[in-house]
Amino acid sequence: MTEAREIFSLFELNQAVREAVKLQLPNRYWIRAELSEVHPNRNGHCYLEFIEKDDSNRQIIAKSRGIIFANTFVLLKSYFEEQTGTAFTAGIKVLVSVSVDFSEVYGISLRVWDIDPNFTLGDMARKRAEIIRRLEEEGVLDLNKELEIPSLCQRIAVISSSTAAGYGDFCNQLENNAYGFVFYTKLFPAIMQGERTEASIIEALEKIYVHADLFDVVVLIRGGGATSDLNSFDSYLLAANCAQFPLPIISGIGHERDETVIDHVAHTRVKTPTAAAAFLIEQQAHTLGELEFLQRGIAHRIQSLQQQRHALIENICQRLTYIANFKTKTMLSNLETIRTSFAVAVSCFSTGKKHDLAMMEQYVQLVSPENILKKGYALVLKNNKIVKSVNGIQVGDDLQVRMADGSVDVKSIKK
Amino acid sequence: MAKKEKSYNESVAELKSILARVEKEEMDVDDLSAEVKKASELIALCREKLFKADEELKNVLKDLEHE
Repeated sequence: MTEAREIFSLFELNQAVREAVKLQLPNRYWIRAELSEVHPNRNGHCYLEFIEKDDSNRQIIAKSRGIIFANTFVLLKSYFEEQTGTAFTAGIKVLVSVSVDFSEVYGISLRVWDIDPNFTLGDMARKRAEIIRRLEEEGVLDLNKELEIPSLCQRIAVISSSTAAGYGDFCNQLENNAYGFVFYTKLFPAIMQGERTEASIIEALEKIYVHADLFDVVVLIRGGGATSDLNSFDSYLLAANCAQFPLPIISGIGHERDETVIDHVAHTRVKTPTAAAAFLIEQQAHTLGELEFLQRGIAHRIQSLQQQRHALIENICQRLTYIANFKTKTMLSNLETIRTSFAVAVSCFSTGKKHDLAMMEQYVQLVSPENILKKGYALVLKNNKIVKSVNGIQVGDDLQVRMADGSVDVKSIKK
Repeated sequence: MAKKEKSYNESVAELKSILARVEKEEMDVDDLSAEVKKASELIALCREKLFKADEELKNVLKDLEHE
């Protein structure tokens, strides 16, 4: 039994689909989707794959191919990257204006005419905020920031691309720092953009972790560039690793515009590799300053004590000298007084004695017999002996009367 | 190598305590000399760490590559 059925060729079916699509969806539509594949071609066109995942972000619930033709792509790419500061690559969510193309051979393809970078920016910001919230909830957000950068901070583990100009500048600056500080740097190379960034940096961190006691800090740097591709650094896993890393992390991922999550969790954020070097040099300068402060403090104190001691000894010396002088003067003065008194006394004494002598002389002279005789007195002698009383004289005695100028013999006649 | 860093901090801690002691007036002249000498040594040690390259450390870090 043969059934009457309508048979179409594949081409006819596809044609019908194409017509239907053209009829139903003739315009351009703004759609939001995730880019799961981005393949720029030699001919300048960019072949894409769009996907949409369910709320749990695990199941793909929609997928579609897409294309951006060369003349559109050139403008779109530069516009997008300039506005968002991130590369037009797989992994980002976009808001694009598309028309639905259907070809009999290739099926549905979404042709991209325009893009709204703010959507992507918004999505990036949302993703970042989400990661930060999660880290905060887990209590790890500030862990790295709470670490202390050691006073002597000179052993640096550097995570960077060895070819990046930023790394070269960084090392140069440290080596030629004006103070002459010595630094020890060790490069742990990693991929600093694209999808492999997260895994590569985590691997470098793990290598450093094994020798964490050999280093004082970790510096994460890369040069700036036209396409900064911040997106790769907005990774929960990478941020969690950095936040909980036992050494302080200095992040200098080289961009002005936004902060990535890594900037949020790192101990210190600097704008460029050069700034990272400057930061480290400044740390050492501070340490040196502290040391010099102590040095000066001690020297100053010692000097002060020396001066005090000196002053004290000086003072004692002076007072001794003064006292000595004073006492000497006093003694001399006393001596002088004594001498003078003595001289006076001696003088008085001799004068006195002279006077006494003179007096005595005078007296002796006064009482001398010659003087008395001269006065009119006479000596009466009997037998050449002086008679002082009339009792010694008898009447008829022969006496001699001696006077000043001679003597006379007399006889006593009457008593 | 961690002891390297500890000894810088230890040195600074000791310098701070020397300063504290010296600032209290009652020091003997002889003790003072001893403290000053110790302080000079510590300061020289610290300065050396800041300014003089440690070849041993350099080599250790270089050798990390070969792990």
